[in-house]
Amino acid sequence: MLTRRAFLQTPALAAAAPQAGAPKRLAIVTTIYRYLSHGQHMGDRFLVGYPYGGAWQRPNIKVVSLYVDQKPEGDLSGERAREFGFTVYPTIAEALRCGGSKLAVDAVLVIGEHGNYPRNDKGQILYPRYEFFEQCVKVFEADGRAVPVFNDKHLSYSFEKAKAMVDFSRRLRFPMLGGSSIPVTWRLPSIDLPPACEIEAALMVGVGGSDAMDFHAFEGLQCMVERRRGGETGVKAVQLLDGDAVWKALADGRIPKDLLTAALSRSDTPLGLTVTDGRTQDLVASGELQKLVAKPAAYFIEYSDGLKATMLMLDGAVKDFNFAARLKGSPPLWSTQFLLTPEPNVTYSACLMHKAGQMFESGVAPYPIERTLLTSGMLESCLTSKVQDHKRIETPHLGVTYKPPKESQFART
Amino acid sequence: MSNSTRPKIAAVVTTYFKYSHAQHIVDRFLDGYGWNGTHHYPPMDLVSLYVDQIGRTDLSRERGSRHPSVKLSPTIADALTLGGDRLAVDGVVLVGEHGNYPRNEKGQTKYPRYEFFEQIAGVYRSSNRAVPLFSDKHLSWNWEWARKMYDTSRELKFAFMAGSSLPVTWRTPSVEMPLGARISEALCVGYGGVDSYDFHALETLQCMVERRHGGESGVEWVQAYRGDRFWEALREGVWPRALMDAALSRSHTITPARPGFNNVLPADADLPRLVKDPVAYRYQHADGLKCTMILLNGLVKDFTFAAYVNGSREPWSTQMYLPMPDGRTTLADFFSPQVNNVEKMFLTGKAAYPVERTLLTTGLTAAGVESLFREQKRYDTPHLAIRYQPVKESTYWRT
Repeated sequence: MLTRRAFLQTPALAAAAPQAGAPKRLAIVTTIYRYLSHGQHMGDRFLVGYPYGGAWQRPNIKVVSLYVDQKPEGDLSGERAREFGFTVYPTIAEALRCGGSKLAVDAVLVIGEHGNYPRNDKGQILYPRYEFFEQCVKVFEADGRAVPVFNDKHLSYSFEKAKAMVDFSRRLRFPMLGGSSIPVTWRLPSIDLPPACEIEAALMVGVGGSDAMDFHAFEGLQCMVERRRGGETGVKAVQLLDGDAVWKALADGRIPKDLLTAALSRSDTPLGLTVTDGRTQDLVASGELQKLVAKPAAYFIEYSDGLKATMLMLDGAVKDFNFAARLKGSPPLWSTQFLLTPEPNVTYSACLMHKAGQMFESGVAPYPIERTLLTSGMLESCLTSKVQDHKRIETPHLGVTYKPPKESQFART
Repeated sequence: MSNSTRPKIAAVVTTYFKYSHAQHIVDRFLDGYGWNGTHHYPPMDLVSLYVDQIGRTDLSRERGSRHPSVKLSPTIADALTLGGDRLAVDGVVLVGEHGNYPRNEKGQTKYPRYEFFEQIAGVYRSSNRAVPLFSDKHLSWNWEWARKMYDTSRELKFAFMAGSSLPVTWRTPSVEMPLGARISEALCVGYGGVDSYDFHALETLQCMVERRHGGESGVEWVQAYRGDRFWEALREGVWPRALMDAALSRSHTITPARPGFNNVLPADADLPRLVKDPVAYRYQHADGLKCTMILLNGLVKDFTFAAYVNGSREPWSTQMYLPMPDGRTTLADFFSPQVNNVEKMFLTGKAAYPVERTLLTTGLTAAGVESLFREQKRYDTPHLAIRYQPVKESTYWRT
């Protein structure tokens, strides 16, 4: 393995840059490649193109190799390799070297989502994202060249591992992008918070299981609040409440009722009486919310600069992801729905892969990986609070600071 | 609720069951809806409801019991007079969609919108007072009747709004056709049936192209294509294929042409397998603009728009996004901006957008049906020389 010094001195980075016009060579490293798995619907974007910006995009990127960790029934990896002319390799190192002795790709897409992996006592699925990433880094170090890596969803179930991944990318100076589709999909309405706004309170509503969908909700929250004055300052404490304690927090005002009403006013999927007879509902004012949600969960985030945010998982009330914030100034309430477009197209993942492709082609990540580092850590600490009797947990390790991207990154053109 | 300054609204509907248009529209007056980040209650009172067909799945009685201030009226006149002998409301909502009504030999459902309208206008006349009226969807299946409805609204000088929710729903992306744009070709890809969703697709087109240079100039002819004739026209490039592909690239609901793939642009060879009964109406406006309305049932479940604008060779495109409660959502929230625009009319006494748009699309729908009925022959439309100017302000959902 190269030392850090030797690595930084190697001219390989520049020398191996492909000539203008030649497609970027992409390796896909995934847990599984089965219909509607993240590996398939994200990986396929680089095989058959995808809709974005009013055209069917066919980026100048060629998939040259694939590593797939598990091949359950319905595995499509062999079929795809035959049709699109790439090779499925038995190890990550071989995929990155395309069977040769040196790194032979210009970018790596890591999709560690879906597949059969154990859960820990906090309910986190132990997807081997860190392990996949580490193997990529080993190749980069050994071969003296590093290329952009996209890591789908949270970096790891463990903040320590997530932090190590970001540290690898800084040390070896390769661009890195990660996270959820939620920050980059369409919004209804098509708004972003004004740059350097002063946020008094923020609230996000999500649905689905932990630790998959709560991560998406955190990314929705974080991509909005990171735009506040001073940029992101990190998180100093978190707490997770569930069950009746959530309703008590709503009654006490710890969960801002006006923000919850605003977020739910953006939903197209209220359940209960709407399903019964189609009627519209104000779930908060009517008290139906409490009847519909058997297992509510509230994730409280205290940021280092004093901002308090609440993320609510309200399975049974709605089926979409909605955000609201109270800003200083006018108008006071801002709210939007993050549009998760329907299966099977799930065009939101095309929005995310468009960002990954931008990084693969330009070598510049369009938004900071620190967002996803922070959301990975927020989620882990909240789940720690859950198993530690829902106590408030101080999180000095989550002092992740960063500036948001200047340009809005969500789908709007 | 007794505040006398709040406008009183009557609703006249064909039927009222879950996910019928009447339920979507009238419920929003009764139970409010999400709007601008709050649960908004219209600042007016829906005081009466006439339902033409009360079937087993009727919800009007449930709504009446939950909102006892709503009078369930046995006749349209009763709904408008509140049991008295003179017009007693400040606005009327007419929803003539859904219910069991006969179809004619051309496949048009004979919803009694004109008949309801005539009864409403009768009360206006006898009361010497006319109040704003909203009529859902096209004015009538019958062009002459639609024209008469329009003429009556002008004669009696009341604000009249109509049409689809497509022009006012969310757009992805959230873009408006620049006012005064030069448009050479425009196209909409949608789904659904003839004399039904074709109207929505035509409203999608019209709300965009009416903003072009000079405003609306009317339509000279309509040519329908269906089945084999459609595939032939597609092959021959009767409409710009690049616009159709641009529209499809805005879709969120393309049926995958190949098993195992979740989102692929269909090849030409895939289309006849996926789309069993394709329909297109191609038509020319008086100022030369050509438009194409395409229904691709089996391929998509959304409405997308593309056009060549201001000389650019790159298509300009968007999707009129419908959160459709066909499994995707539970609320047809595209009715919210429609109701919101109708509220504005009831508050200001002015239509939020010109009813001439819907007069024209009503005529286009009937002309498309006529062309299909006449074995897909071109149908000249001198009666559609409808000229109007759009409203400058955008009226679609963007806040």
